[in-house]
Amino acid sequence: MNPSLEKQIPSGVADLFFNDAARKRAAENALAQTFARWGYSEIIPPMFEYYESLASAAGAELREEIYRFFDRDGRTLALRADFTIPIARIVGTKLYDRAMPLRFFYVGSVFRYEEPQAGIRREFTQAGIELIGAATPDADAEALALAVESLRALGLENFRFTLGSVAYLHALTRDLQLDDAARLALANAWRRKNISALNGLLDSLSLDPARRAALAQIPALAGDARVLDRAPAPNDDARAAIEHLRAVLARLAPMGIRDCLTIDLAENRGMAYYTGILFEAFVEGLGFSILSGGRYDNLVERFGPPLPAIGFAVGIERVLMAPRAARAQNRAGIAPDVIAQLPADFAAMQSARAAGQIVEVDVLNREADVLREFARVRGAREIFWRDGPKENL
Amino acid sequence: MKPLTIALAKGRLLDPSARLLASLGFDLNGAANSRQLIWDDVARGARFLIAKPSDVPIYVENGAADAGIVGQDVLREGDADVYEPLALNYGHCRLVVAGKAEHAAADWRFNAGLRVATKYPRAAQKFFSARGLAAEIIGLAGSVELAPMVGLADLIVDLVDTGQTLKANGLIELAEIFKSQAAFIVNRASFTLRADELRAMMEKIEERRDQ
Repeated sequence: MNPSLEKQIPSGVADLFFNDAARKRAAENALAQTFARWGYSEIIPPMFEYYESLASAAGAELREEIYRFFDRDGRTLALRADFTIPIARIVGTKLYDRAMPLRFFYVGSVFRYEEPQAGIRREFTQAGIELIGAATPDADAEALALAVESLRALGLENFRFTLGSVAYLHALTRDLQLDDAARLALANAWRRKNISALNGLLDSLSLDPARRAALAQIPALAGDARVLDRAPAPNDDARAAIEHLRAVLARLAPMGIRDCLTIDLAENRGMAYYTGILFEAFVEGLGFSILSGGRYDNLVERFGPPLPAIGFAVGIERVLMAPRAARAQNRAGIAPDVIAQLPADFAAMQSARAAGQIVEVDVLNREADVLREFARVRGAREIFWRDGPKENL
Repeated sequence: MKPLTIALAKGRLLDPSARLLASLGFDLNGAANSRQLIWDDVARGARFLIAKPSDVPIYVENGAADAGIVGQDVLREGDADVYEPLALNYGHCRLVVAGKAEHAAADWRFNAGLRVATKYPRAAQKFFSARGLAAEIIGLAGSVELAPMVGLADLIVDLVDTGQTLKANGLIELAEIFKSQAAFIVNRASFTLRADELRAMMEKIEERRDQ
């Protein structure tokens, strides 16, 4: 311990060991296995790269949160703040001419300079997928279905997804020539379902009455699929966005996962780089989302040829806070099955290990009764004594 | 099923909030005059938390409460990621810049080194920054009107209801930052996971409010 340090580690990071580390690894493995079975292969972008390339593609909010530092030549580097942007760079510069679609999954740390808040860390773990090169409702449905499957693989049951469409909101405002401040204020009022702020804003925009009514109605467009029948569609783009959502829902019905979906057309997460559908998952007992994702068709083209894409990420630390996941994964134990006294029968230890048992060696040369007590405290079930006999505890 | 948990800001909003909830049929008898922090209405599956106003958005954001009633001034000063679907049409007040009479309307805007005392450092900073003024914000916990009288600050940023407190301390209003009223806020997860209960409740609140 360094007594001159007021804090041993910076705010927003954590030391994980024993059960915490085991549960995290188990969750990551369960997701990696699920993603792989759906045809996704792992991609590992660097932990840091040029700030310029990450920041140019990030929305204003994310850009503010990127950790920056300098290399020895004075160039600005940045820690990755998500996986989507580095993967867009890799695809846009290296993989754009491969057969489409590309399916990638990732698991790893991302870093964001955020104020400590509900469920927010500065280093946290994301596990997720990107499906690149397809803009069909089938691609959107696959991403949503895999998102549902991922939460099931984590042992979660009582979860719900909200599903919205940034394409729809863009269609409602594109022809209005709003400036950036007004567009952001509108997106925020929708997002927070803040009807009084929304009305004040709409009053100041001098819109024709039909469009004003349409924009004012957005926060109320939440519920089951019937919401889509009520959604105003003043132009072709808005109609197309609604039809696209219908098509996605139609594909999800036979998979039996439409029931855990809530349509919420006000959701937009500040619009960021999303261009189509976007979704988030909530689980009972946690006040914040554990998974979020959406379609971003204009991101890869910042690095190379245009390619549509959709993806989502699971927040591993958040999942592990969910009561259900806590129960499901506590079995991922760290107790040894066997403790072996030295000099040991190496062949017996190796065959026990080959059979999947955890074998721990006593490297402190304990006396027999001390070792027996130690083995009990550690939760071991068996001792291999030095002369060959085995003892069940 | 867990009770539907509503966090209520204590202080000036608690009485009207309790009256509103009582008019919806909830049993909150005595909550406003008690020191008890949790009130259960078992029959209606509801639980009420009485919390410091600035803590209400924190309970709701973290999901410790499904919903809450708090002033919009508190929401603007904090940065909680919550839904705020209903303004409740009570608890009206305004956040204003005020100063001694000699700070005539034009003159404070030319002053480079303003010192501003406030309980709302964030809103104050935002207001002055947006006007290119390098104000020094002095965060206080209460009785902000005192600061200009004893030379701690040139101006204050504070809530006014009737304006009586300002007048009594020889201060005049120089600019309005925003208007505020009580708001019904909802946790983002609860909005989806307990949609039916919350929607029914909000509909009833809207009927009461608009009567």
